[in-house]
Parts: sequence; structure tokens; C-alpha cells
Amino acid sequence: MKNIFVQGPIPSAFIAESIQQHSHKRKIGAHSIFLGQVREDEGVIAIEYTAYEAMALEQMHQIREEIIPKYGLTCMHVYHSLGSVNTGDLCLFVFTSAPHRKAAMAACEEVVERIKAELPIWGKEILSDDTIQWKQNT
Amino acid sequence: MITILVFGRLSDITKSDKLLWPFTGDTNSLRQTLETKYPELSAVAYSLAVNKKLAVYNEVLNDGAEVALLPPFSGG
Repeated sequence: MKNIFVQGPIPSAFIAESIQQHSHKRKIGAHSIFLGQVREDEGVIAIEYTAYEAMALEQMHQIREEIIPKYGLTCMHVYHSLGSVNTGDLCLFVFTSAPHRKAAMAACEEVVERIKAELPIWGKEILSDDTIQWKQNT
Repeated sequence: MITILVFGRLSDITKSDKLLWPFTGDTNSLRQTLETKYPELSAVAYSLAVNKKLAVYNEVLNDGAEVALLPPFSGG
């Protein structure tokens, strides 16, 4: 099963490199990329992510199996941080590629929504006064 | 015996992220037993997964099952 977890923040150089790696796939006409960044909410300085990794990878596999044929994607990549990610750094990278833009964009949006709703991942917000609160998805 | 993995804020209640529990029958009876031992659990929302699959209905727990206590997800 494909791993999606990255320890710590996702480096922007990694994103550039991922785009570059698709230049030889000549049937692709559109990429859609979603980047989640840790937001500075009310004193939040970082989010510490934990996951039920084995279940998350199974769920992600299932999502991938459904989304790729549904939108006729050429390929799809997902990376999510584990451990601590400071505000301003990237914690989620979803990358969908297809022959045409509408499929790539719709697939990207659906994958992001499903990741947030279906993957057993939790964010603990670390506040500047050394307290913590558990993140809630809206 | 079943293994119970505890995630997110729920491990603040159980004070542990892994519990070994005598076999109890099904997920509903397991919930009751857990909430008797950890009363704070009954005040929070959580789902159960059995062997890495979300338990939507009451499910029978076989000996050796891996159960996970999952608070609402907050990835991304």
C-alpha cells in the first residue's frame, strides 16, 4: 500500500520536484494541486499530527481506487504530515493529473474533502502559552 | 483478549494509547464497559474501528480483534 505520510512539514522543493517528474507523461494536459498550510489561529504556533496510520493508508487506498477511474485521472499523489508542523508550513499536498482541466480540478477537490472526512488523522494545536487544544475540522 | 488503540484526545482520558481488554462480545457492550471504567468517554464523541474498518453498526468482536477508539478526524 502506498505511503502518504511525511515526517514534519512538506518542503516546497518536494512539490516542485513532483511537478517536474510528470513532464514525461505526455498525455497529461492539466494538473491540479491543493496545498494545506498551518494557519495561525488564536495563538496557534504549530500543529502536531498523529494518525492511525494502518487504517488511514487502507482508507486512502480505497479513495484512490474510486477517484482514479471516476475522473479518468492519469495519476494522483497525496502526502500528509505527521509530527509537528509550524504555522506557515505545509501539511497536506494533493496532486491530481488528467488529460483535461475539469477532471483534474474536480478530482482534487473531492480527494481533499474525503481526506478531511475519512482519514483517521488528528491535529493537536500547540499554543504560544504552552497549552494545547485539539483541532476541529469545519 | 482484544487490543484497544486509543487516539487523539481520547488518550488523555484513558491515560494510555493501548489497552488490553478481556473479550466482551460486541462493540456496543465494549462501549458500555469502557464508559463504566472511563466515565469521561461518555461525554465525548468517538467512533470505533474493528480491524481497521469503521464499525457503523454493532459488531461482534472476535478474540484477538484490534479495536480503535477514534475521536472526530481533524487531518489536513
